[in-house]
Amino acid sequence: QQPIVIKLSHVVAVDTPKGKAALQFKKFAEERSKGRVRVEVYANSMLYKDKEELEALQLGSVQMLAPSLSKFGPMGVKDFEAFELPYLFDDYADMHKVTQGPLGQQMLKKLESKGIVGLAYWDNGFRQLTANKQLKSPNDCRGLKMRIVSAKITDAYMRALGAIPQVMSFGEVYQAMQTGVVDGGENTFSNIYTQKMYEVQKHLTVTNHGYLGYAVIANKRFWDGLPADIRAILESSMRDATKYNNDIAQKENNEALAAIKKSGKTKVTLLTPQERLTWKKALVPVHKQMEGRIGKDLIKAIYKETNFDPARL
Amino acid sequence: MNIAIIFGLLVALMITGMPISISLGLTVLSFFFTMTQMPIESVALKLFTGIEKFEIMAVPFFILAGNFLTHGGVARRMINFASSMIGHWHGGLGLAGVLACAMFAAVSGSSPATVVAIGAIILPAMVKQGFPNKFGAGIITTSGALGILIPPSITMVMYSIGTNTSVGTLFMAGVVPGLILATLLGLVAWYRARKYNYPRMPKATWGERLRALRECIWGLLLVVVVMGGIYSGVFTPTEAAAMAAVYAFVVAVFVYKDMKFRDIPKVLLNSANMSAMLLYIITNAVLFSFLMTSEGVPQMMAAWLIDMGLGPMSFLLVVNIMLLMAGNVMEPASIVLIMAPILFPVAMKLGIDPVHFGILIVVNMEVGMCHPPVGLNLYVSSGITKMGITELTVAVWPWLLAMLGFLVTVTYWPALSLWLPRMLGMM
Amino acid sequence: MPLKILDNLEEWLITFLIGAATVVIFISVVHRFACTIPVRMIQDVLIPINVSWAQELCIYMFVWMAKFGAAYGVRTGIHVGVDVLINRLNSGLRNKFIIFGLLAGVLFTGTVGTFGANFVWHIAHTDQVSADMELPIWIVYLAVPLGSYLMCFRFMQVACSFIRTGELPHHDHSHVDGLEEDVVPKDINWLDMDDNLHPHDLKNKQLGENGKGGGQK
Ligand code: NA
Ligand code: NA
Repeated sequence: QQPIVIKLSHVVAVDTPKGKAALQFKKFAEERSKGRVRVEVYANSMLYKDKEELEALQLGSVQMLAPSLSKFGPMGVKDFEAFELPYLFDDYADMHKVTQGPLGQQMLKKLESKGIVGLAYWDNGFRQLTANKQLKSPNDCRGLKMRIVSAKITDAYMRALGAIPQVMSFGEVYQAMQTGVVDGGENTFSNIYTQKMYEVQKHLTVTNHGYLGYAVIANKRFWDGLPADIRAILESSMRDATKYNNDIAQKENNEALAAIKKSGKTKVTLLTPQERLTWKKALVPVHKQMEGRIGKDLIKAIYKETNFDPARL
Repeated sequence: MNIAIIFGLLVALMITGMPISISLGLTVLSFFFTMTQMPIESVALKLFTGIEKFEIMAVPFFILAGNFLTHGGVARRMINFASSMIGHWHGGLGLAGVLACAMFAAVSGSSPATVVAIGAIILPAMVKQGFPNKFGAGIITTSGALGILIPPSITMVMYSIGTNTSVGTLFMAGVVPGLILATLLGLVAWYRARKYNYPRMPKATWGERLRALRECIWGLLLVVVVMGGIYSGVFTPTEAAAMAAVYAFVVAVFVYKDMKFRDIPKVLLNSANMSAMLLYIITNAVLFSFLMTSEGVPQMMAAWLIDMGLGPMSFLLVVNIMLLMAGNVMEPASIVLIMAPILFPVAMKLGIDPVHFGILIVVNMEVGMCHPPVGLNLYVSSGITKMGITELTVAVWPWLLAMLGFLVTVTYWPALSLWLPRMLGMM
Repeated sequence: MPLKILDNLEEWLITFLIGAATVVIFISVVHRFACTIPVRMIQDVLIPINVSWAQELCIYMFVWMAKFGAAYGVRTGIHVGVDVLINRLNSGLRNKFIIFGLLAGVLFTGTVGTFGANFVWHIAHTDQVSADMELPIWIVYLAVPLGSYLMCFRFMQVACSFIRTGELPHHDHSHVDGLEEDVVPKDINWLDMDDNLHPHDLKNKQLGENGKGGGQK
């Protein structure tokens, strides 16, 4: 009997948390199904690029993806743009209350109208600011050219800091930072380390201002058409791969930070609680500004899960 | 098995003479139709997203910039400057032609365009001074090839598209080999001119040289805009290409005033025509390498070659032979776009530097453009001199031999390409 | 007459697109550069101006230019192929190959146009928008079916006229007529010559055939 082939495509390197977790999922699924399922993992945008993978999934050219949450906004599920809001979560615990809780599941359900089944949230980590000058307070960002990925919310909060947001693809960033086309950017420790950005950025401020996460999704038609026992196996494999991902994501981000410090090429600035508060005060107003896009109710619901009240800042 | 079918079909379609882009596309279509469950709409998706990448847009921008300059009288001023500097040496105007080609290469991203710009002016002048037709044709056909080695270079952009190598670094890496090759071609011209006692020009005074430099400086500054802009961080490579187009427009229309406003739409249309053709090849080549990837061809090939125990040295030899053979029947853009994605993973596995590999491919393309049956430079020269292709082939060989020697050097001496970008901290 | 209008429209569109895309990127670069001038007043005015859409707009304009330009390219005969072999065949066989190539073009572009139309139809029923400008993505993707169908039409046109008259779109090389004084090259498409990369008909002389050395045969 021919095995069921699942093509899982993603756009990051094999040795990132997501890359490893994808391989872990492959291992679990193939073992537990005793070979009835074959998962082919395509890393590094080998098959589809960032910009086309969602369409490819909807067409059924790939069966599974793990895109970053910001990709669902342009698809018409604006709810997911909420995850881009700055200082929405204070730490991993806060974030997991949403992503691993009922609210997160509700949000995944909204993808079904697009022919997509949301299977799990995978963490990467928190975004940090890097630049060639020290960023102690939000005012230090004024006039800096900051690289962003195309996302309305990111654009808005960079502007709130007085920075000039520059849309730029991942591949161009290193050289742009090296030559100075952009002054800085926002990335997780893991990305700053694996993309060698610490070599070309003099300063890193541990702002933890944004969350970078992914959703593992599948083509709905394909998923619903699977035999029930296989689906159950895949679900359990996904649960374990998710746990694996979230464990190593946190660990690898910490290790990346240690490695960056050790390199001595980037000065790492930690914020005191007081300093962090000034950043928060500068950025949280963006939540209100974006209510129209994302929906007031959803933002409120997230606040409720994480016990956050902007008025009390 | 599948690989054999894919390549067999591709070659069969190609040799019927249909456009390369169409044969690539048809190969992919028929494979998807008959051999996979892949929904065929994804082909349509790829046809759009295949070129939906800002880095690729450097191609039309550089073409546009080049076309403004070809029309703008820049070439004539560069020739004047070059002959004022070295026209009194053996080889005279011919030697100046090498230098002028090197200068024009620094503002144009294409080799045949360099041949057109410099050749159309200098070749008639050389004949008038009493040079044999084939001496000039040999010089310009081969020196024009510098167009893709000295930055900016459309071929390098193509390579970077196929392999995700940094264009900025590639450009920098082309500078030293470009200058060395220019010197080499000049030496051959000088030697032959001395041997056959070809005419020389009267020595220009420093005042005349300065005047000639002042005249051509506006054109030459384009390379400063591009390379300086990229290196100092004012632009990304694609933005630099766009700025080059604007700069070339300003120079042609407002500084040199060799181009009238009413010529502009024609230049735009011609550039769009050329760019669209190249972009159409890129799209279909992307589609083809998508098929290759989903069939696992590059990985399989890498594994196979490494199993055979092929070291970097012999691999590079094989690459050179394959590319030179391809240069017999195809033009550079198609060769790079089809071959680079397949050869690149193997090169990486063997520890070859991606930038060095790129320069090696570019030099190969240069050679390919100068010999028959297919050689863009050769045909352009033939158009200018009205010499037949056979006759031209004979005329070109002394310089072509030098180029082949240079190719070997570039292949086995990576530092030649990598020294400058490393020095500048770009890699 | 309507054909003439189509021709003009096609030329006008791609001319506009390449020019406009250049201007768009120029503006965005100048804007970014001006923003970094460390004068508070200038920055206050310039930074809030949002040009994040420039890159996306430029890419879309070029993709549209590429699709319609490819159709125009069929009409001007610019698409390169491997013509070394067929250029050596006798004229009867050669003509058959040329017609085969043109029909292959018809087949490919027609097929792709149809898939593209299906795809656009499919995507038009989603709410997908582009990331920066938030244009409905199906409008953006419309370039594939429209461009491909136009290209298909152009291939048919060229095939018909070749069968009827034995002529292919050919290139005017009068400008390259060198060896005269003051010839400043104009309008030379270096990718647009009869150079064993393009099929050529037998009614017009090929480059390299008109000299003393004759052709390569
Ligand atoms: Na060049
Ligand atoms: Na050749």
